[in-house]
Order: sequence, then structure tokens, then C-alpha cells
Amino acid sequence: MNYDYIVVGAGMGGLGAALNLAFNNKKVLVLEKNSLPGGVVTTFKRGRFEFDVALYDLMDYGNDEHVGSLQRLFNKYNLGVEVKPIPYNIRIKSIDDNFDEVIKGEIDDWILRLEELYRGSMSTFRSLLPVLKEIHEALMALKKGRKNLEKDFPNFIKYLDYNAIDALVDLNIPSKTINVLGYLWMEIGSPLKKLNFIDFAECLYKYIFKRPVGLANKNIDLALKMVNRLEELGGKIYYRSLVVEIRDNNDKKEVVLSDGTIYKAKEVICDLSERYVLKNLIKKDYPEAQAKENARTLSMNGLVVYLGLNKSYQDLRLYNYRYYQFQNLNSVTNIKSMKKLSHHTIEAIVPNIINENASPKNTTILVLKTLYLNDAWNGVNKDNYYQIKETLANELIEEFEQAFNIDIKEYIEEIDIATPFTFARYTNSINGCMFGAMRLGYDNSIHRLLSYEDERILHLSFVGGSSLLGSGVDNAFYSGYYITEKLLNERGED
Amino acid sequence: MEAVDKMEKIKKERKDIIASFSKKKPVDTYIDKEVRNMRDLYHTVITDIYEETKDVKTFTLMADKDSSTPHLAPFKAGQYITIHVTIDSMPVTRAYSLSSAPAFANKDIYKITIKRVENGLVSNYMLDQVKVGDKMVVSKPAGEFGYSFIRDEDNVIAIAGGSGITPFMSLANAILDGVYNCNLTVFYSVKTYEDIIFKKEIEEINKKNKNVKFVITLTREEKDGYLHGHFNKEMLESYIKEFNTVLMCGPKELYKAMNEILNDFNIPRKSVHYENFFVQYEPEEKIEYKLKVVMKDKTQEITCNNDETLLVAMERASIKAPSLCRVGECGYCRSILLSGKVKMIGAALKKAEAENDYIHPCVSFPDSDIVLKLDI
Repeated sequence: MNYDYIVVGAGMGGLGAALNLAFNNKKVLVLEKNSLPGGVVTTFKRGRFEFDVALYDLMDYGNDEHVGSLQRLFNKYNLGVEVKPIPYNIRIKSIDDNFDEVIKGEIDDWILRLEELYRGSMSTFRSLLPVLKEIHEALMALKKGRKNLEKDFPNFIKYLDYNAIDALVDLNIPSKTINVLGYLWMEIGSPLKKLNFIDFAECLYKYIFKRPVGLANKNIDLALKMVNRLEELGGKIYYRSLVVEIRDNNDKKEVVLSDGTIYKAKEVICDLSERYVLKNLIKKDYPEAQAKENARTLSMNGLVVYLGLNKSYQDLRLYNYRYYQFQNLNSVTNIKSMKKLSHHTIEAIVPNIINENASPKNTTILVLKTLYLNDAWNGVNKDNYYQIKETLANELIEEFEQAFNIDIKEYIEEIDIATPFTFARYTNSINGCMFGAMRLGYDNSIHRLLSYEDERILHLSFVGGSSLLGSGVDNAFYSGYYITEKLLNERGED
Repeated sequence: MEAVDKMEKIKKERKDIIASFSKKKPVDTYIDKEVRNMRDLYHTVITDIYEETKDVKTFTLMADKDSSTPHLAPFKAGQYITIHVTIDSMPVTRAYSLSSAPAFANKDIYKITIKRVENGLVSNYMLDQVKVGDKMVVSKPAGEFGYSFIRDEDNVIAIAGGSGITPFMSLANAILDGVYNCNLTVFYSVKTYEDIIFKKEIEEINKKNKNVKFVITLTREEKDGYLHGHFNKEMLESYIKEFNTVLMCGPKELYKAMNEILNDFNIPRKSVHYENFFVQYEPEEKIEYKLKVVMKDKTQEITCNNDETLLVAMERASIKAPSLCRVGECGYCRSILLSGKVKMIGAALKKAEAENDYIHPCVSFPDSDIVLKLDI
């Protein structure tokens, strides 16, 4: 069974890669270990509720005016994805800072409010916007392979080696405003002091100019649409196909499944972390790639509590789309508290606010999330697993109730709890990490991009949220496109 | 600095940092290691078979220490495992609630309690053929049924019919072991005194404990110390508090009868939870259809009667179709209906699954010739 390309894993990166290959008439096979596609972009059912696992805000999709790259690709493949705009409607609290604000309305309202809070926010924030735009355009040019960037993009070059804090200070943003903006780091998972400014700026640019959108349907609908299109384009997907080994045989790659079946291709593209593949699937040594993985810092893993509530969000007074409660707005300080299981940074989302079809009439879905760093879960074993998981979930719910003065508990009709073990088991993510390797220091997305050619493994590529561009559906899906474009161009030149 | 120089400098910095790290294979984190040991299937040995009643036996399964799974996964009271057996060279599975305390799983022990079903393929095999020392492959524990201290109230009313008692024996033991801090009253309905499963254990628990109590009614026999007849409002009344959680496990008729009673107590929908017990469907006329199973690299044509599920037909034909809950709930067997019509009884399909022709073969009865896509 010979293919041009085999894609291991039908997450967003894998499907992004497979779609682009099939679109270009390549013979492609996707091997997925689960019985549905999507990776964490999936949906599970409990009683009368359908819960989305991970995807709520689709970044870089944009609107009619500002078309994001994700929308451009979705249109290119004719996926027919329905989306809903997500307005600014976020409540942020910080215990140490005594901070409690709602970001609502348009970006200008928010900037005005920031100005009221911290003088100097408005003018500096306005001068920040063109810098974000310039950096975004520079990144596009870089991805397209343009060389002489210094002429058109001096700010890109200037801030190439700045961390987010230093750059924002350099741009005269008041330090308290920087902290407030920092809630965005939860989408990236790296402390701002170590997050490269280019990475941060790109995220902020997408957030402000190409407002995130929500899916009109559930996560699994998006993944199935991608698969349907892939099959229409001649691509193939096999479910229940756990890959246990990838090896070389003459000029081919062999992909071995758990039942011993072997599929062959010239190129293998893994929608898995490079670390997992080197550690679990490849016997051969790749010293440089292995050193790269050993040098990396793992990102946070987390606990997610999915609640089906038997009242409308209005009745529950859950008026905001997202809620955050930090110990400290300073991400560096806040992240330190994540080393213990007993402490929770709260992130909550109410999908019903933007989508009335999120759950049945007069019910609400509330998803609570908290993050943990490094080896916080190392004391958890099979004897205490259920007890710890439920205790933590209970603490998270109670802390949310207390932080926002909203009663939740008595309205819980359905509950499910996902731990790092759940995510690791379902997606093979290392340590159950939600953001792959942390984007920090020398290993931000921009660094990975610049060194991509030097660090490549022959005929073996990596896509998805753990790869080049970092986590997030936009980055994961785009990485599949980006990497396969490179491969197609090379093959074309052969 | 020139742009090119700056980029080169950044690349070199990265290269130098990476070069200072070990070039050996990356190692597992603690979570990676634990997850490696979590499997879909576990190998066990039957270490004890206890006759509860003349047609009910409890099987003690212990992890097969010489196998690739020397330890069993933990579970929550209320969950089930699916046993894998081969009968007349047919690979078949059945799901049974775990009846043992969750704490036993820490010692790598599961217990399941099986009642003989008239003409039942697996139950008769288990009760008549299986002996101590036999090996048995079982699934990971699964299922959502049970008590959640976050969701549920402190006063728990469990309602069990016949062998529906098994998950509640596990829950009772979990409470006695201190896993949950709640009051549990199990209303247990059986035909006669001789049909009471876990009789000795129940007597002991009733004698020793305040927070866990079993109330037994005999529907076809009158006997001192036992209620008589089906459960009614008066029998339950004194156990109902202001806030209650109701858990039910048994035949559908029991759920229907109990719901009428529960309505009188104004117990909200969110506080009542059911275990799916089994799927029943009787077609008016028996018809044999063709079932074509399109697997990854081969296709097999078999027959399927309209009074059996597609899953049963595949098992009969020795196709190793995946299965777990067998009541349409878990989605483990999900497959794509390429052509034909099925009658699906109670499958918990997601909206997008339904729109994309997914079916759960474990609860799908053919209504025409069928072509099924099943990636195995």
C-alpha cells in the first residue's frame, strides 16, 4: 500500500496538511487512532448536552473586511464553515491587583477605559497598532520566503530579539496596561517576560484586527467537514489506526500500525509533537532533533470542567462570554502559582453568549479551565486519581462562584472533568500539555521559523499545535498548509 | 545591526543552546509513563467464582501478572467493564457493571456479577463453562453512571431491579470506604427471597451502618422482614428529603413505574440518572438482509437478521468489530452507513455524527441491505 504522503493524526494540523496535499492531487492517507477526526477539536455528549472539548475562539479567521488566513484556506477548500462573530465581552479579575473590569463593546471603548484606568494608555496603544500590523506583514513576507525585510519592516527587525514586556515598555505602554493586555498570554501559555514580542504581537494583531469567531456548529462538525472535503478530493482517512513505528526502508518511509499493518510513502507528516515521535515511534537516533527536544520547556497542562446547567445564562447571571481570575496580572508572577495543584487561575467560557444553539433551550454550558506547570500532577496515581480530580474540579467551581458571585452548583445537570491524563491519552500530547513546547527564550515560533530549514529531518515533517507556529487552531491548521506547501514546492523542483 | 546579521545571530544562539543539551532520546514524563500503562484492554485471570443465587454468579478477576497489563485501571462506582470471550469461534463481548468496591482496583481486582439470561449466549457460557484459573480479556472501565459529589445531593436514592443491583453494591462499598460522604438508600426489587443477590453482604451492611441502607421488596413472595409488591409512594416516602439524587438501574418498566412515583415527590429532572440496561427491539416480521462490511483493506459480505444488531451479525461472522457499552451510549463502535436503512434504538449520536451518516452498530437493526464502513 503505497502513498505519496502519509499523515499521522487527524488533528487540525494533520487535516490541514492532508487537505492541501489532496487539493494538489497527491495520493494521501491519514491515519487516526481515534474513531473520529479533529484531535482536541472534538465534541462529546452527556445527557442532552454536547460539549466542545477545546475550540471556542477561532483566531485568524477574520470577517469580510479583514479576511484571516484561516478563512482564506477554508474558502480555498470550500469547506462551508459557518461562523459567528465574538464580541468583546470579557470579565477579568486579579486578586493581588484588586482588579475587576469588563471588556465590552468595541476596541475603542476598551482603550478609553484603559486610559481612564492608566493614563497614557490611549496614545501609546494607538501607536502600537501600526507596529502590530507591520510585524504581521513582515511575518507573512518571511513565510513567503522574502529575504530583505529590513527595508519595509524596520520594527520587525528591531523587535526580533525583544521579549513582550521589554518591547511594550520600549513602546511606552504603561506597565499596568501591559499587565492587563497580558491576559492574552493564556492563549499562548508563555510568561510575557520570556515570550518573544514578534509572537505576542502576531497574537495581539489577530485578536484586534481579525476578531476571533466562534463556530455556528460543534467542534466535531468542523473536523467532519474537513474529512468530507478531503475524501471528495481523493484523500483517504483510516480511523482506529494507531501508529506504533515509523521507519526507513530503502527510499521509502514505512508506517506501522499496532495490528502490524504497514503503509508506505515517500514523505510522512506527523500531527504529533516531535518529541512524541522521536521518543515513541522512531528507533533510529536523530541526535540534533533529540537535543532540540531535550532543550525545550514543556507548556502547561490543565484541568477542564465541562458543566451542563439547567437554567438559561440570563437566569444564572452569566452575562460575560469569558471570565478570568488571576492571582496576579503579571504573568511571570501568576505562572509561579501554577506549580501547585491547590491553586487555580480560572478561565471560564459561556458559549451560549455567542451561540444560542450551544445547548438546549433554558440550559447553559459553562466550561472552567485551570492550568498547571511542570510536574504538578506527579503525586497523582491510580489510587487517588478520581478523588483528586473531583476535589480539584469542585474547588475550581467554588472559586468561580466566589470570584464572580454567581451560583452554579445547584444547577449542574451534567459534569465531566478532563485532566492532563485525559488529554495525553486522547491525543498523545506530551505530559498532557495544552500548548506543546512552551514558546519562550530561543524557542518562540519566530525562532522555529527562522531555523526550520536547518533543523529538518529528511522526509519527516511535523505539523499541528506542537509544531512550528505554536498552539491554537489557526496555527495548527496553517502549519499543515505551510509545511506541505514547502514540500510540494521542493518536489516540484525535483 | 543588519537584518541578515540579526537573524543569523538569533539562529546561532538557538543552535548553541540546543547543542548544550543531551543528544539522547527524550524520556517520558511522569504523566507519559502513567498513560503508557492505560490500555483499552486488560488481561485478567479468574480467581474466584461465587454463586450468589441459583442463576447469578460473581466472578473475581485479577490482573494477569504475566501479561502486558500487570495492573488494572481505577474506576468509579457505577462504571462497567466489557468482557471479551470467544464462543464457538465467535468473538463476542458483554458489558457488566463492576460490583466490587473501587478500592479493589488498587489491588488489581475487579468483580462482576452475572445473571443467567434465558437463551443468553454469554451469560450461559459464563455461568456454565468458565472456571477459576481461566484467562479473560476485559475493557478499561467505562460509563458515566454513578454518584458525583459535585453534581449530586447528599441524600441518594438508588433504585435497582434484579441484577441492576450490581453498580449499587460498588457504590455502597465506596461510601463505606469513605470515598463519598453521602447517605445511600438502595431500593431493591426482586421476585422472591431466593433471587436476592448479595444477601449476606446486604444484611451485614444494614446491621452495621447508618448511612448506607438496603430496602428490599419481593414482588412475587411474602416474607417476614421484607416488603411485598412493587415499590410505591408510601414505601419511599420516609426516605425522601428536601434535596435528593435518584440513581436507577434495571429494566425500562421499572424506570417508567418509578418516574410516576418520583413525580409526586417533585424531584427535578437533573437529579435523576439512569443506567442504560439493554436494548430491546422486536420486528413485526423476521427478515434476513445482506450486510457488506467495508473494512480498511478488505470487504466482507455477511447476512444480518432484522431482529439482531449489526454488531451481533458481525460477531456471528467472526468479524472483530469494536464494541464497549453495547447500548448505543459510548460511541466506541461508531461506523459509517454507506448505504441502506437501520432502526437505531437509543444511540447517543452527536448532531454532526447523525448528519454524516454515523451509526452505532451495537443498537442498529437492519431495515434493508446494508453497506457499512468500519475501519478495522
